[in-house]
Amino acid sequence: MKQEIAFLSLLFILGSLLLIANPHYGLKFAFNSTHEWLTYRYTDNYYITHGLKDVGGNNIVTDIVFDYRGYDTIGEATVLFTAIAGAVALLRPWRRDEK
Amino acid sequence: MRGQRPSTGREMEVDMGLIVKTMARVTIPFIGIFGAYIVMHGHLTPGGGFQGGSTLAGAGILFLVAFGLKDAEKKVNRKVYSALEGVGGLVFLGAALLGFSVAFFYNTLWHNGPFFNGKPGTLLSAGFLPIMNLAVGLKVFSGFVAVAVSIAAFRRWRG
Repeated sequence: MKQEIAFLSLLFILGSLLLIANPHYGLKFAFNSTHEWLTYRYTDNYYITHGLKDVGGNNIVTDIVFDYRGYDTIGEATVLFTAIAGAVALLRPWRRDEK
Repeated sequence: MRGQRPSTGREMEVDMGLIVKTMARVTIPFIGIFGAYIVMHGHLTPGGGFQGGSTLAGAGILFLVAFGLKDAEKKVNRKVYSALEGVGGLVFLGAALLGFSVAFFYNTLWHNGPFFNGKPGTLLSAGFLPIMNLAVGLKVFSGFVAVAVSIAAFRRWRG
């Protein structure tokens, strides 16, 4: 009994998702026209058109990560440094173990 | 575990046998070349410092797992690798500080620098991006290898 209810509820959830995510009358996950895309995603367009001139790398992702969003990369490097420092500090022999 | 002597890691000092060692000996140079390529071409092709550094660290960890801790500690000094990680982070910050007269993270080497300002698409272009990719690659590689060797050397459990 429980299993049937579980399967039926799973089917119900999938069906409602199909209804909700239909691009014709439900949620839209993409833009239909170039004009709409340029209206709402003008930042993407700025990076694509200006990235090579401003930063100089062919790889736009590297341009964004290391120049436009450099502070984010500094934070990420700090997180990695802290994690590795903590791991190395915790994994060394403890003072109790040495005697 | 109180009252129980912690394991000294004697179990990890044995290697994994002939087949795994031969395969590791064959594949580690290729993994290293591929990781170095990803780091060096970070500003031209998909990938970058973090991805290439992780690939290189995969080669190092494969060496550690296949050949055992005793052989790995002959090649890898844990303290040197921990220090190299800090050096990588400092080089990254220094490359960001190069254009500090305009702004933090201003790519002055690309706009009016003496080097690294070649044609876009060549290896010696894109200003501080290759320097930063090399720094982050060094940081990630040395950090991951240091952590893996630390875990292997100071394990506290038995079995």
